[in-house]
Amino acid sequence: MKLIMKFGGTSVADGERISHVCNIIEKYLKQGNKVVVVVSALAGVTDQLVKACGLAGKGEKEFIKGFIEELKKRHLETCRVAVKDEGVCRLTEKTVEDTLLELENVLVGVSYLREVTPRIKDYILSFGERLSTPIVCGALNSMGVKAEWFTGKDAGIVTDSNFGGARPLMETTTHQVKARLQKVLDENITPVVTGFIAADQNGVITTLGRGGSDCTASILGVALDVDEIWIWTDVDGIMTTDPKIEPKAKVIPQISYMEAMEMAYFGAKMMHPGAIEIVMGKRIPIRVKNTFNPENPGTLISSEQKVESTSIVKAISLIRKAALITVEGAAMFGVPGTAAKIFSLLGEKNINVLMISQSSSEANISFVVPRDTLEDALSILEVKLLGGKIAREIKAEDDICVIALVGAGMVGTPGVAARVFSAVGREKINVRMIAQGSSELNISFVVKEADGERAVKALHKEFGLEK
Amino acid sequence: MFRMRIILVGFGVVGQSLVKLLLMRGKELAEDFKIHPKIVAVVDSGGASLNLKGLNLGRVLAVKKEKGSVAMDEECGVKTVKASKIIEEVEAEVVVEATPTNIVDGEPALTHIKTALKTGKHVVTTNKGPLALAMPALMELAEYNNVLLRFSGCVGGGTPILDFAKKCLQGDKILSFRGILNGTTNYILTKMTYENISFEDALAEAQKAGYAETDPSMDVDGYDSACKLVILANWILGLKTVLKDVKIEGIRKITLKDVRDALDKGCEVKLIASAEEGGNLKVSPQLIPRSHPLCVGGVLNAVTFVSKYAGEETVIGRGAGGIETASAILRDLLAIKQDISLRSTYS
Repeated sequence: MKLIMKFGGTSVADGERISHVCNIIEKYLKQGNKVVVVVSALAGVTDQLVKACGLAGKGEKEFIKGFIEELKKRHLETCRVAVKDEGVCRLTEKTVEDTLLELENVLVGVSYLREVTPRIKDYILSFGERLSTPIVCGALNSMGVKAEWFTGKDAGIVTDSNFGGARPLMETTTHQVKARLQKVLDENITPVVTGFIAADQNGVITTLGRGGSDCTASILGVALDVDEIWIWTDVDGIMTTDPKIEPKAKVIPQISYMEAMEMAYFGAKMMHPGAIEIVMGKRIPIRVKNTFNPENPGTLISSEQKVESTSIVKAISLIRKAALITVEGAAMFGVPGTAAKIFSLLGEKNINVLMISQSSSEANISFVVPRDTLEDALSILEVKLLGGKIAREIKAEDDICVIALVGAGMVGTPGVAARVFSAVGREKINVRMIAQGSSELNISFVVKEADGERAVKALHKEFGLEK
Repeated sequence: MFRMRIILVGFGVVGQSLVKLLLMRGKELAEDFKIHPKIVAVVDSGGASLNLKGLNLGRVLAVKKEKGSVAMDEECGVKTVKASKIIEEVEAEVVVEATPTNIVDGEPALTHIKTALKTGKHVVTTNKGPLALAMPALMELAEYNNVLLRFSGCVGGGTPILDFAKKCLQGDKILSFRGILNGTTNYILTKMTYENISFEDALAEAQKAGYAETDPSMDVDGYDSACKLVILANWILGLKTVLKDVKIEGIRKITLKDVRDALDKGCEVKLIASAEEGGNLKVSPQLIPRSHPLCVGGVLNAVTFVSKYAGEETVIGRGAGGIETASAILRDLLAIKQDISLRSTYS
């Protein structure tokens, strides 16, 4: 099989883990598979770079030396543990040191200019993967596995110039990736590619946004037309719910692309929804597997909507730290454009709306936003909507959470909502707001924060997910 | 009056024909189409000739004829300059790419076209190589940069096969098509059929008549037809496909016996390029009934489109030639002009 294997930050957090990852790669290569490896930054490094970006942008210089030393210490140590062969280790160390020298110069430059544009930020954030990837490649080489490392740019990934959240130009990317990586694969060399980073058509470095390494895996998978994409992470797969809430939570063996996208949207941090969207057209299956338990089959995300009669609901997620806003006023009745007005105001402030519901009397609209954006949302809405113009009153509740049930089995099955709300009702939990997409793939509703976990447990039991 | 600044890359038969055509029809273009095309740079293998106010076309032709390269012009000539640098740095609306076809990696034309699109210039190409190898990517880049990529001259030369299918059959749905897309092989097969001579002799005659190259592989092994097939399939059927998706069989193995057997059945052997419903792309010798409109002789090209409501239509015409292809470039330039004026009206 031709496979993409993407390893997240926790899978490559230190030298021993990288050695472990390389053993996994070697095992699948020996079985006759062709593998393209995609690597994230060492756990925590991207966050450190974001912070460094902010400090340098404010003109601070003193921290830079120490910051670079800290990164150097960690990466060289990782390198020494993971790359056993002395010669290879020295070469890899040199790459790491050169890359860090470049980073230091960039940060000093930024601290003088006191300006971090999205373009500069992408350039700085790219260093996490540019440091981790050569180490994984060196580790493979020192084990006797022929490997070569590429940045996403050198691998041929071309995106638009939307820095911080660039989208791939898929046809151009496919043409270039085929020309560059397929040749390497044909020579039985394993390409090791930086996740998260790419370049626009002029060769300027871009990043693919949060969860961008998953997107890299999907992009390369589509471009090279692979058999499967494996996302290696630190849990056994996608779970029926958060095991910290319900210890009886189970791994879901198989879900469809649409279900996985709904779940990703509702906070299951397994896969970036964009990464799923990229492969949907080509129907390339994605497997989520545990680096620390590689024998476990994990979760298969594919186009087949395998719906067993018993599993109407596949997963339940709980989104904490949410806030509910209700805009009320009779003047909204029959006035077109009110909803557009509200949501464009929020859009201007970059506030993400998680859930929307409007009663058919049109006298009020309720919606949920992340709690940390509540104050921003209220201030803009109050200024623009109150005062007899559109709304009479704007109410907010900041102690709520959202519960989302996802499953293709809900489509066209009568009585699901009744089961959901009677299960919650038996627990004496008050439901504040309800929404169901017309795709019927999910039902989501709002309860008080304090009731959230109890509701999840009750539903987990009601739909037999612990079995 | 619309001033269109053009960079012409590649100054062989097609490039020179374009310049001649502009010289001949300049006044007519201004009067009928309100367009004043100015060639600001011509690039050939020796370098470039450059004048930001527009080159003297007669002079460019004369310098090329007398001295071998446009770069030898004493006033406007620039020796040893790379085409991609000119494309990147000279301001112009359109780049016309007319360098020789390369179907191995499409270069240098592929880089020329990409550079033009990236710097926001419309592109007209007569070079099949880059399109056959990377048409989906180039169409994407053009769309992303909000410019047009046109290539009428690549298929059918002066015969508007692409426009016929895309424009005249708008509203209908083309399901499949097949046709003779290469004049040279058709000339050879016609000779074999009607003059009863072997493939080798027919090829030699085609070479003598100037229809076939010294290395005839592009034509007789079916690659030229396959390149055109890829372009048609992308443009008309919306398939995202490249040269290596095509099954290709040429005409080298066709014997006199094959040709005679075909005649006995009331057919002729033709090199047919076809795109079936579902996207199967194939170039191979086929028997075509002599009564079918596709069964054309000599260097003619012919394509039959099968559309959902209107049934079968066949377009027939000369497929190649310098001035014919130059007229296709002009057609593309006019289409671009129209598009630019529409944009400025609405924006």
